[in-house]
Amino acid sequence: MSKTITAKKRLLAFLLLGWVLLIFSDRVGELTQYRGAFVATYALAIASIILLTGYSGQLSLGHSALMAVGAYAGALTINNLKLHPIIGLFAAALVAGVFGLVFGYAAARLSGPYLAGTTLALAISLPTIANQFPILGGEQGLLFDVGAPPARLGEEFSQYQWFFWISSLSALIMIWLLANLLNSRYGREFRALRDNPIAAQLAGINTGLQKAMAFGLSAGIAGLSGGLLVMLISGVSPSAFPLSLSFLLLAGAVITGVYGLGGVMIGGVILVAIPEIAESVAIALGGSEGFTISLPDFIVGSLVILTVLFTPYGIGGTLHKKKHNKH
Amino acid sequence: MNQFITAVLTSLSTGAIYALMSISLVLVWRSTRVINFAQAAQAVLTTYIGYEVITRSGSFWLGLIVAVIAGGIIGAGIDRLFMRQIFKRASSGPIAMIAPVVATTALLGVIYSLIGFIWGISYKTIEAPVSTNGLSIFGSVVAFSPFNLLVIITVTLSMIVLTILFQKTNIGLALRASAHAPEISRLSGVKVDAVRTLGWAIAGGAGSLAGMLYIPGSYLYPNSMAVLLVFGFIAAVIGGLDSLFGAVAGAMVLGFAINFSASYISYKLVFPTAFVILILVLLIKPNGIFSSSKGRRD
Repeated sequence: MSKTITAKKRLLAFLLLGWVLLIFSDRVGELTQYRGAFVATYALAIASIILLTGYSGQLSLGHSALMAVGAYAGALTINNLKLHPIIGLFAAALVAGVFGLVFGYAAARLSGPYLAGTTLALAISLPTIANQFPILGGEQGLLFDVGAPPARLGEEFSQYQWFFWISSLSALIMIWLLANLLNSRYGREFRALRDNPIAAQLAGINTGLQKAMAFGLSAGIAGLSGGLLVMLISGVSPSAFPLSLSFLLLAGAVITGVYGLGGVMIGGVILVAIPEIAESVAIALGGSEGFTISLPDFIVGSLVILTVLFTPYGIGGTLHKKKHNKH
Repeated sequence: MNQFITAVLTSLSTGAIYALMSISLVLVWRSTRVINFAQAAQAVLTTYIGYEVITRSGSFWLGLIVAVIAGGIIGAGIDRLFMRQIFKRASSGPIAMIAPVVATTALLGVIYSLIGFIWGISYKTIEAPVSTNGLSIFGSVVAFSPFNLLVIITVTLSMIVLTILFQKTNIGLALRASAHAPEISRLSGVKVDAVRTLGWAIAGGAGSLAGMLYIPGSYLYPNSMAVLLVFGFIAAVIGGLDSLFGAVAGAMVLGFAINFSASYISYKLVFPTAFVILILVLLIKPNGIFSSSKGRRD
């Protein structure tokens, strides 16, 4: 199978998926549209973790902070520069990407636990720091308004459907670009670096630069998903990006399988579904407030532990392994 | 002058608590090459246990002792029943690299939620055995309380005990040897696996002590020690992650930096200061300032 055909096939598949999703959004109610928008946003964020962890072998507990950087950048672009919301989302990706590149450059020499701990410190300290700049709106944060859907889409077209369109299209386009990138020279370099850094270095790959680039790219995608996330909740504040969000995304990536992008949508669905399932379970069992609030974390944590213990390749991993055996 | 003395004393007291957390991270790192992010949750859990004992018996010291022992048992249990399975099953491929970190963070979430199940999410308080109000020196009230003094004394005593354990006993020799060269230690007849579990137990105990000394004057809730974990980690990195002395020294550096920037410039600088120190150390001396041997980058 030559490479161009797979690339064409992939483009076709994504176009088809996008078309199906847009048709789908016409057929379902507002709640499903809203949930669907969250699924797309989480899927995109999970993709950014998979790029970083599965392909470049770095681990970040700070993606909530990177999402926050993107979200604040987007809000400032829209509110203060009075630019179009779509440009705001671009700015979210761009600023977070540059931030990630600088941070990644500093962190490129770190491996495993050092990087994890440093990103953890980033996730905990960045929201607190954001609180102290008046321009970022303190505890209340900033408004993030993408505006009503364009009039030409018709009267019937709801705000939630507009949300769904924006987030699912952004996610599809970004993940398509990412899939292409990972199948290119850069993807191979990332993997080489992950599997055997010394051999990769001997083959002429600039380790530090590649790691920083992977981190910057991942941060950019995370920033875009941060922008989408605050679009869905209409505002950006430090409390929208707790450390638990980082853990949640990492959990989503591990459950999905960090080896390939194939399962990111499943991961998004799982992350959206767990709180709802937990809520109905908690109501059915009639548990206390502490039980109700703690149950989602319990389910997520247990799922991650079970995944690491029993299917370390994640849901998407079985497929991946089969593919490898074939070759 | 008054402000200076207060800042020094407060730095010593907060630094002492960071040092305990830092030591518990370093002990696990030395024996297992894992940063135990779940340590925060373990410490919260044992502090809740201590809280229960204190509420029932009315004695802070009994609660402290029970919490530290519980911390040791929980730490050993996590190593035996949990971490070993993780290492055994996720031993190859990219997942092997991230599995320990992922597993400890997942464990962090699970323990937090278990605490939520049992005790709820409301804030609890632990009465300190002595006053947590500032002392009055020369007629003016300063931010240093009798409890802060007690913290310094307790931590100093436990450091002395740990030093004797590590430097003067056979167990300490085994602990140091298997951290330094596990294969050679195994060949020389050290039961490396058992020693490793002991390392986790001591780490758990130190973390619990940190929690019990951290909470009076503050509030106890499931996520109350995330900051303590991060500062403990930063202190450990300053010290080079491998050295117990470095952990204590790093904690003191951090304690002084945070308290001085907070009391002389602005309390808002607590997190930025800590973060800048971490980044600077990682950029300039990634092996740690106090690390005597060549540090590792794995």
